[in-house]
Amino acid sequence: MKNKILIIIALLVIALLAYNYLYQDHRDIASEEAKFSISPEQIVNAFKTNTRDSEKKFLNQTIELTGSVTESNNKDLTLNHIVFCQFSENHETTLNANIKIKGRCIGYDDLLEQVKLDQCYIIN
Amino acid sequence: MKKIVYLIVLISINIFAQSKYLTKTGTINFEASVPSVEEVKAENNSVTAILNSDNGEFAALVFIKGFRFKNALMEEHFNENYAESDTYPKATFKGKIKNFSKDMLNSKLEFKLDGTLTFHGKTKQINDMVISLNKQDDLISASGNFKVLVSDFDIKIPRIVRDKVSEEVQITYKFDLKKR
Repeated sequence: MKNKILIIIALLVIALLAYNYLYQDHRDIASEEAKFSISPEQIVNAFKTNTRDSEKKFLNQTIELTGSVTESNNKDLTLNHIVFCQFSENHETTLNANIKIKGRCIGYDDLLEQVKLDQCYIIN
Repeated sequence: MKKIVYLIVLISINIFAQSKYLTKTGTINFEASVPSVEEVKAENNSVTAILNSDNGEFAALVFIKGFRFKNALMEEHFNENYAESDTYPKATFKGKIKNFSKDMLNSKLEFKLDGTLTFHGKTKQINDMVISLNKQDDLISASGNFKVLVSDFDIKIPRIVRDKVSEEVQITYKFDLKKR
């Protein structure tokens, strides 16, 4: 009898673990500690001079950037003309404001010579 | 003398200034689902696309890591095992709209597009892809869909999931291109 209960509990635990593994949560960039804190110019130059190594270093990482807003739309903004930041929610910023944001680097756009970030959040 | 040089430069800039329409937030969806098992699809809202409205040249750049799945584990597997986005972080399309002229934008809606698609380190020529263009003032909406085979891009679906992931991938796109 005791054995049966143990087996059932073990099965339940395994099922729960399997479920949590299969349906794990997405990353939450907002709660992640930024891995790099860098200026817009520094990150763009890094990609321009050595794309391959910069991709290995920055892609998919949470990055913190400070700059001035040079273009602003509902769900995106551009810092210093060279870093394009996308938001999951609408944001409110004013042009030319100096802000600090955190986001995930998804790549260097060589058509526009801009670095792209998604899932951005404004820190201040 | 200096003034003349400036003037010539200015005039030539005007002559060669091309009308480009672009977006940085274009949408691409792909779906490789098999009926009655968990859907395999993702959306990317970070696509850069540029249309040159003088000659119909079209280019798009997609960051693979920008594809978002509903299931986080599926997203991880897509990046690590299928698209290998650490090694191949981008997909690009370069092409030209056939029989394109600026004036046709005001009347015609469907065009045919020839070009090359590069993904996962492999390049494939795609011909006669139908693209709908709808121009309203300074905005051109471009949309369409096409199919590719994962084998065209050297991606192997492991046997264990072969009945859960389709070999044929349906891709749809929508770009709201603004003049600049």
